[in-house]
Amino acid sequence: MGRITQLKPLSDISTPEINLAITRSVVSLADNQRIMVVGNSAGQLVEFDFSSQNSTSEKAKSEKPTSRPFESGHSSYVTGVGSTKGGIVSVGYDRKMIWWDPLERTVLREIVAHDKWIRRIAVSPDGTTIATVADDMHCKLWNAISGELMFVLDDHQPVTPHHYPSMLYAVAFSASGEQLATGDKVGHIAIWETQTGRKLGELESPGMYTWDPKARRHSIGGIRSLAFSHSGSSIAVGGIGAIGNVDHLDGPARVEIFDWQQAKSLVQLSDTAMKGLVEQLHFSNDDSQLITAGGDNNGFITIYDLATNKIDVQAKAHQHLHGMIVDEASQRLYAAHHGKVSMWELQDQPVA
Amino acid sequence: MSLFSQGQWPTRIPPHNGLRGIETASQLRDGTSRRGFLKASLAGTAFAASMHQLDILQSPALASELKRQQKHVILIWLAGGASQLETWDPKPGRATGGPFAAIQTNVTGVSISELLPKMSQRMHHSAIIRSLNTKNADHGGAAKIMETGRAVDQGIPCPDLGAMIAHELGRADSQVPDYVSMYSSTEGRRQGGSGFLGGRYAPMFLTEQMIPENTSRLESLSELDHSARSDLRSFLANRFREGRPDLSVDSHNSAYQRVRGIMSSANLFNIELEPMDVRARYGPTQFGEQCLIARRLVEAGVPFVKVARAWWDSHGQNFETHLELVTELDHVLATLIDDLEERGLLEHTLIATFGEFGRTPQINSSLGRDHFASAWSASLHGTGIRGGSVYGKTDADGLKVIDGEVNAADLFATIFQAIGIDYRKEYHVGARPVPITDFGGKPIRDILL
Amino acid sequence: MNPTRVFVIAAAMAPILVWSCVVQAAEIPSPELSISTAIDRLLQESHDRAGIVPARRTDDRSLLRRTTLDLAGRIPTSAEILAYEQDSASERQLRLVDRLMSAADYAIHLRNELDAMLSAGGNSPQEWKDYLLKACEENQPWDETFRELLAPDQNLDDQRGAAHFLKSRLNDLDDLTNDTSSLLLGVSINCAKCHDHPLVEDWKQDHYFGLQAFLAQTYQTRSGRLAEKPPTELNFKTTSGVEKSARLMFLTGATVTAPEDKRTDEQKKADAEMVRNQREKEGLAPPDELEFSPRKEFVKLALDPANRTFMARSIINRTWARLMGRGLVHPVDQMHSGNPSNHPVLLDWLERDFIDHGFDLSRLIRGIVLSDAYARSSQWVYDTPAPPADQFAVAAIKPLTPQQLTVSLIVATMNPEKIPATDFQQSGVDPNIWKSFRTELEKKASGTARLLEYPGENFQISVTEALLFNNAAQIQNNYLKSSDERLVSFLSNQWKTQQTQEDLHARSMDSLIQTTFEIVFTRRAEEDEVSMFRNYLLERNERLPEAFQQMLWAMITSPEFRFNY
Repeated sequence: MGRITQLKPLSDISTPEINLAITRSVVSLADNQRIMVVGNSAGQLVEFDFSSQNSTSEKAKSEKPTSRPFESGHSSYVTGVGSTKGGIVSVGYDRKMIWWDPLERTVLREIVAHDKWIRRIAVSPDGTTIATVADDMHCKLWNAISGELMFVLDDHQPVTPHHYPSMLYAVAFSASGEQLATGDKVGHIAIWETQTGRKLGELESPGMYTWDPKARRHSIGGIRSLAFSHSGSSIAVGGIGAIGNVDHLDGPARVEIFDWQQAKSLVQLSDTAMKGLVEQLHFSNDDSQLITAGGDNNGFITIYDLATNKIDVQAKAHQHLHGMIVDEASQRLYAAHHGKVSMWELQDQPVA
Repeated sequence: MSLFSQGQWPTRIPPHNGLRGIETASQLRDGTSRRGFLKASLAGTAFAASMHQLDILQSPALASELKRQQKHVILIWLAGGASQLETWDPKPGRATGGPFAAIQTNVTGVSISELLPKMSQRMHHSAIIRSLNTKNADHGGAAKIMETGRAVDQGIPCPDLGAMIAHELGRADSQVPDYVSMYSSTEGRRQGGSGFLGGRYAPMFLTEQMIPENTSRLESLSELDHSARSDLRSFLANRFREGRPDLSVDSHNSAYQRVRGIMSSANLFNIELEPMDVRARYGPTQFGEQCLIARRLVEAGVPFVKVARAWWDSHGQNFETHLELVTELDHVLATLIDDLEERGLLEHTLIATFGEFGRTPQINSSLGRDHFASAWSASLHGTGIRGGSVYGKTDADGLKVIDGEVNAADLFATIFQAIGIDYRKEYHVGARPVPITDFGGKPIRDILL
Repeated sequence: MNPTRVFVIAAAMAPILVWSCVVQAAEIPSPELSISTAIDRLLQESHDRAGIVPARRTDDRSLLRRTTLDLAGRIPTSAEILAYEQDSASERQLRLVDRLMSAADYAIHLRNELDAMLSAGGNSPQEWKDYLLKACEENQPWDETFRELLAPDQNLDDQRGAAHFLKSRLNDLDDLTNDTSSLLLGVSINCAKCHDHPLVEDWKQDHYFGLQAFLAQTYQTRSGRLAEKPPTELNFKTTSGVEKSARLMFLTGATVTAPEDKRTDEQKKADAEMVRNQREKEGLAPPDELEFSPRKEFVKLALDPANRTFMARSIINRTWARLMGRGLVHPVDQMHSGNPSNHPVLLDWLERDFIDHGFDLSRLIRGIVLSDAYARSSQWVYDTPAPPADQFAVAAIKPLTPQQLTVSLIVATMNPEKIPATDFQQSGVDPNIWKSFRTELEKKASGTARLLEYPGENFQISVTEALLFNNAAQIQNNYLKSSDERLVSFLSNQWKTQQTQEDLHARSMDSLIQTTFEIVFTRRAEEDEVSMFRNYLLERNERLPEAFQQMLWAMITSPEFRFNY
């Protein structure tokens, strides 16, 4: 367990598809197995095996990860993949949630989970509960094993203050799995108790809503990412800050951190050096650093030191980064990009 | 010289099928027609025959017939360029298709984007053109093409669609404006204009506010004085006009004569006067309210209304942008069609939706789509068109037109034809003939009744 | 149906020479004649041939108004009317013209007209306006202005503003090409872009792209300087689909050959990089000028005695059109063999005179406004049909430009006692007092002027303008308000002081009506007008200031005020 000191690209592979979501496959039984499952714009899940990069030989390191597609299942973009106790679960714009056999890469079960486009999935740390969010503005909690719908959580307005459809983009579990948070397009955040479906609190991050009332009369942005600190006291939300021209993602990468129990905003982080949407957020294992990732045309990974709220480490990360996971020791980071899947080393002296 | 060769005259100005244009100013200004005609007819019988033909076709009876039919056009201008793939020409399942599905419409075999569920049930009033190739993908240049229907700069200011339709359908003594244009967002705002047709056909242009400027009397002036001083003005104007038959002077007088009518029609812009349930149908967005105003204007006899919905230029986040904007377009357009239909106005009114271009099939790394003019779509709804028809085809990825390629001139010819204006008509600017439809433009017969 | 159109249709139908009987090769009169004499003699010959009796000479007052509007950009002041009346009838026009042309108004107005003619629309920058003003004040020869518009020496402060002509058009090479050709050479050649010109045998695609090739290398650096990049090949496709590379070719077919491009690929790459940097980066030293500058070659060709006829005839025709309401060649951007003038000898004579006298624009303007043709009535009151416009036998009715109209509005509605004297030559008043007043007028006018449309061909007044004048607070506040500065107050005060006896009531009202007509219309009111307004005003005896406002409103919104007739 150590501090993140670098963002060293280790390996990447180009794909013709837009890669939107990534999870570590439950097939990776051993620690040194690094098999990732990526959901993409072709409606596919694809398995990428980065294990060879464990080898010390330079030759092996320069090899591309091997990839194997799952059988077909979704009919539109796959926007979320998660690893549960029972396997892999995915969601997409086709409104479906699909359970997969991770070894055979075949469909086990599929349901129409929402009435509108599903934006993201989160799996509780113990792998037993699934949360999905969609543009029907519901967050649904599912039993990961049985597929039973446990709760429908409603606290997000279906239309924006300017009378346009709102979108529910972000969902995350706390480290204990006891809480869950959801965040929408206009910057509203709701915190829920997983066991009961009871709402525990709410927060507002209005800076995430980028409505342009005069020049263009539309908006992009919204809360796109959400994470609890490991301690459970903080919630970070990510998106994009005030944009002059909403035709482009030409605005500061924006993060706001709250003490959710006090309903207090702790800090707003804004970076104009590497701009665009913050699509992913992850607290380092000791909560001393916050990993943020996303992009405009380009991708970025920006790591903040939470003691100073200054940028600690930052890297340009291929193209726009949609999906990210970080291993438990904060040693490696895996990312799904527009046209690429990549692996990064985060520490100088990684544990072998 | 080929454009003017003798052989082409009959096709350009058919003997009985169509209307000869209202002459532009230069022909009327000096009152020399008889002289000119006599001199010319000495030149040869072929010419004289043509002139004779022109005279018949200029019959005011025919012109007024057209106007009596009271046709109207509402142009919904999708400023910045809407994506054909997220509207009328979806390509689900292709790499270029984006995340949205296609849905079956109420016309068998016709599918459109799932972002248009309400319009999918109104395709019997609609025609889709999927094969526009307008070549210019720069906002300014492309907007000029799609506003005027002319691909090449003519070296003279050309009228836009609204001005041409106002010229063809507007009445000199009209109490309402002929051409109202609403462009409230500031990005890419373009006033449009009447070019060589002159200020009489310029749009009443609404930007900051929804009620046109200077349509209400200053409080310091009584109604009586407002009208009495106008009489003084008319007295002076009539004296001045003696012996001065000048079209500009006439336009000055007719502009002043129209003032009181326009002032009394200012209420047309006041949607507070609509019942709450009607307002609720259109919804609270500015675009919805403007389309409601458009309906009120058309109902009162305004020939052309343009509502610009800006700004569709989704270089980043194309899908989020279209989710917002197409949802609104679907709702408002469907409401407008229903409302016009219920009032019996749809059979006299053509609604067109297009902007300066479409968007690239390729999806860029901001999940955006960029400018694209080679294969994009427009839609027409209402009078004169064959409901449920789809014209033209793009390839599987929407990269190019593979069937029925049309350009701006063809689209304009189609619009003219749909409302009974002869698309072959010519204007004359000084010595230059300028056809109402750009050279080579032909209506798309397949989608016309 | 006017004759020009007849021509085109006739020419289109078959090779029928309709005009051969009209346009006879007359002998060009002596260069010794004055411009006005030459104009009147040649027009009279044309009228005689066509059996036309022109309209009578207009009355002195309306000629005063017309001339002042054309030379000073505004209506005359009361003091000017008085001075004009005091001059002997035979010398009035001459003295008026010379007085107006030596006043500050002349250069300001000519600048405004040139700005409108040359600008790509919108608000032109001050540097450009100042450049034009100086050229007008100094009566800079037109060939020099032509050169500076297309190839300014940007190291000289007083030429930098000229670069606006090109700079404002650099983002569209087609606009740049056609505007240069149409505004400075009188030839709109864009029909020749896609195919050989349909109306004019003279011009092929080669000419269009030939002209474009002169300008295609011009770009603007980040620091706002015009520059030329090293050559890049300009290709075009002919109608038969053949790919051709454009040669540097003038409208006459004269070509220049660029020296062979001996740069290596590396040099070309470095040059391209240099241009990119110049375009994007601030603070760079200006790029080196090219040894062979296509744009300067173009200027050389255009001003060459063999080719300069285009630039000369274009400005002559546009000046004529501005003053006479219509070009000797109409439209003014169609000066080609397919659209000949109805007065070819006159145009030839004016061209020779213009060139012989050093491209002197003011000399030409003076000559035109002193002609009898300029002084005709705009009214045709006879039973016979009015002669065609291109015979210039009846004066044209010209809509005022926004600036002319607005400056005139201020003058017409101003308290006449607040207007400084203009006739400084006689009264010994410091001319700077008038100059600063006139400059101030220019500024005050720009607000309302911006709301009005600039008149083009077949100009029609929009209902928007009529609504503005009817209901906008700014018209009421700027021009009609009762304040010490405005005519309405002057009239009210006059009324109070004059009205001493009952029986003088009507008579003093009549004199106020006459004063108002003089100020606004530059003429006396007719009896029916007096009685109409007398009744109107006396009926509103209780609220005369308002009634005066309404009278004034009716006058400034009448066509008599809106047009130069």
